[in-house]
Amino acid sequence: MNIEITDLTRRFGRTQAVAGVDLTAGPGVFGLLGPNGAGKTTLLRVMATVLPPTSGRLRLLDRDPGGYGPRREIRRRLGYLPQNLGYYPGFTVCEFVEYFALLKDMPAAKVPAAVAAAVERVDLGVKAKAKLRTLSGGMLRRVGIAQAIVNDPELLLLDEPTAGLDPEQRVQFRALLRDLGQRATVVVSTHLVEDVGAACTEVALMDQGKVVFDGTPDELTARGTEGGTGDAPLERGYTAVLAQARLAQAQS
Amino acid sequence: MNDPSATGRSDEGRPGAGRPDAGLAGVDLDRVWIGVAAQVWRREPGWLERLAGRLLRSPGLARALLTTPSLLVPWLIASIAVLAAGAAATLSSGQPVAPLLAPAVAAAGIAYAYGPGVDPAWELAGSMAVSDRMVLLVRALSVFAMDSALGIAACAASGAALGITFGWLVPMTAVSALALAAATVARSANVGVAAGLAGWAITILGGQAATGKFTVAVQAPVLVLPYLAVAAACLAAVLYASRVSKGNR
Repeated sequence: MNIEITDLTRRFGRTQAVAGVDLTAGPGVFGLLGPNGAGKTTLLRVMATVLPPTSGRLRLLDRDPGGYGPRREIRRRLGYLPQNLGYYPGFTVCEFVEYFALLKDMPAAKVPAAVAAAVERVDLGVKAKAKLRTLSGGMLRRVGIAQAIVNDPELLLLDEPTAGLDPEQRVQFRALLRDLGQRATVVVSTHLVEDVGAACTEVALMDQGKVVFDGTPDELTARGTEGGTGDAPLERGYTAVLAQARLAQAQS
Repeated sequence: MNDPSATGRSDEGRPGAGRPDAGLAGVDLDRVWIGVAAQVWRREPGWLERLAGRLLRSPGLARALLTTPSLLVPWLIASIAVLAAGAAATLSSGQPVAPLLAPAVAAAGIAYAYGPGVDPAWELAGSMAVSDRMVLLVRALSVFAMDSALGIAACAASGAALGITFGWLVPMTAVSALALAAATVARSANVGVAAGLAGWAITILGGQAATGKFTVAVQAPVLVLPYLAVAAACLAAVLYASRVSKGNR
């Protein structure tokens, strides 16, 4: 398993953002669904080794990120797209992707080809030499995806990757996700259930810091018959599971 | 995203577009194109980046060093302008203004070397194999070295006495360490600058209140040990605050 999480918590002062999460994931595309404030981004940041967990056990790519050496090895094999990705406005697309390829400790000789391949995969070849300040929001998001995949990661963590992408780009992006998921573990945090239905092999639904559902998109869809609301079958499953989780929490 | 078979995207205009695959059996044109693009798009690092890469034994660290906000040209111009004004004030008034300004300039530069709100891609950099602690260290040392050189040049230009010319280097170390510690603990460059400047102002004014001379902060040998102790304590705070462990901040 590339991700093994046991009873993981993360606190910010008195606020518990992640409350006792258990999760395992191997190769494939794993969707992380949930309403705003559910703890998805915090969990993703913990998995990206940006935030240490407050308690619990975390193993990534069969390593414990608590130690310097294993953490560095994990980071070499990791791709991460944060929700709010900052940009250096004076960098070109290639310079930005190259910068993070170098920070990922890729061998310098392999970097130019890896950068070119990543930029091509997100369909930004025509903008390769353009300054980031001249790009649209959707293009900047694709630059962020390019830096995440430049090292051909074994573990790819994407936080709201389709935000700002137009419908055609989203369709292309889902195809890219399916392709990447054949070799790597791809975790996609989103609140767009259609992205999950189209690209993910497994899905977890979070609410108030806890995982309240873990299964396949088909299993989540099936839960929609238990009183969910929404236009699409998967949306009905999503709302039904959330409603049941909140009811159970209120009763307890 | 670039998966034409899945998306129907047109490759028109790209090398290999409309390719007669039958006549190029066995040739992976996508791979060829990536090789061409890699050559066309590759960036040749400048001499400074190559030198830094060799010294630091890490091209990534060298690139991170050259993107330090407080080593970029506009910041350097501002630092030079402040110290030049200090040198001019020293020459015209006879008071050692430049040695008193140098620690403040360094404190601001170091607080703005790295961190959230300062470095656009700070969060992303925190997930990289090149440790962000190492980036912080390299950037802070480089900014300190650069500001020391600028300060020495300003003091030399203003004709300050030799003791004063180098006397501010120790307080500069303490003030810079204080700014770095405050910025790291509070995760805010502004807090770091405020702490550094406030600490330095209190030291100068305290010295003046005690002795009647505000230059005592850079001239009194008795202050060297306290300065070094403050610097050591602040650097320990930086190491503690930037460690990776179980956290709830």
